[in-house]
Amino acid sequence: MRAKLISATGLLGLSIALVLAPGGELRAQAADMKFQAFLLWGTDNATPPAGKTYQPVAAEIRNKLKELPIKWTNWFEVNRKNFTVSQREVSEVAISEKCHVKVKKIGDSDLEVSLIGKGKEVMKRRQSLPQGELLVLGGNAPNSTAWLVVLKRTD
Amino acid sequence: MDYNAQLKLQAWLDGELPEREADEVAQWVARDREAAALVEELRITRGALAGFNAEVRLPESREFFWSKVEREIQRLGAPAPRPARATYLAQLRRFLVPASAVAAVVIAGLMLNRQPGSSGGSVATEMETALADSAAFIYRDFSAGTTLVWLSYPADNETAETDDMDTFE
Repeated sequence: MRAKLISATGLLGLSIALVLAPGGELRAQAADMKFQAFLLWGTDNATPPAGKTYQPVAAEIRNKLKELPIKWTNWFEVNRKNFTVSQREVSEVAISEKCHVKVKKIGDSDLEVSLIGKGKEVMKRRQSLPQGELLVLGGNAPNSTAWLVVLKRTD
Repeated sequence: MDYNAQLKLQAWLDGELPEREADEVAQWVARDREAAALVEELRITRGALAGFNAEVRLPESREFFWSKVEREIQRLGAPAPRPARATYLAQLRRFLVPASAVAAVVIAGLMLNRQPGSSGGSVATEMETALADSAAFIYRDFSAGTTLVWLSYPADNETAETDDMDTFE
């Protein structure tokens, strides 16, 4: 009788634990993600283009860009947007008049990122982006310069 | 002839009577034809039986034979041993077997219900990229936690005659 009691109690406890454990994961997945999106302009010149008051990019991002195989030495921040993404919702942020970024949260730390340029989807990418990591999208710009859209997860 | 007289004749024939009584029986047999006939019949019968009375020898000593009989009687008469009390391991097994089954079912259910694309934690996530231009490349710096996707868009020839910032601003 005692053995049966133990078995029944154990089974009940185990079942509750197994039911609650995924609940914790669901709660974690349900948490919102916070991002910063930066539009950067890269050049080998030490100053921004004439008539522009762009500020040099933050040191944290600059140091990470130095580790990437891109040749430009100076990066200026053209625009910055903060936004939040909820579970299974798509957030679209206009980083410039012609460039939009769409971010969809599809898991605990997984995202689906789309880059929209001049109304057309240029790229769609699905990847994990833990807090503090960067997703850098870029390309060449005229006169040997470059543009970057940097997506940073802040929370 | 009564029964006791017959027994006495048989005892005399077997040499079991005392000497004096045996002499009396011998005289009786000598003068009584019925008694003599019975003695003769008994003698013939004994001779016939003696040929079939083969001696049976046990392969073991008498004491050992009877000790075996005694042990067999004790074994058959002994009460059946009571089943040993279930050990802790057996009780644990009784719990773990159904619990493992329940856990397997729950885990299987969770895996089946898992939404596609969910990373489930720190496990490296499969990365997928759909690019409009085939000239793009992807670089991943694991130590810095940075992923670079370099696009050929907009193409240089599209923007060659535009202002510096026209491509994105």
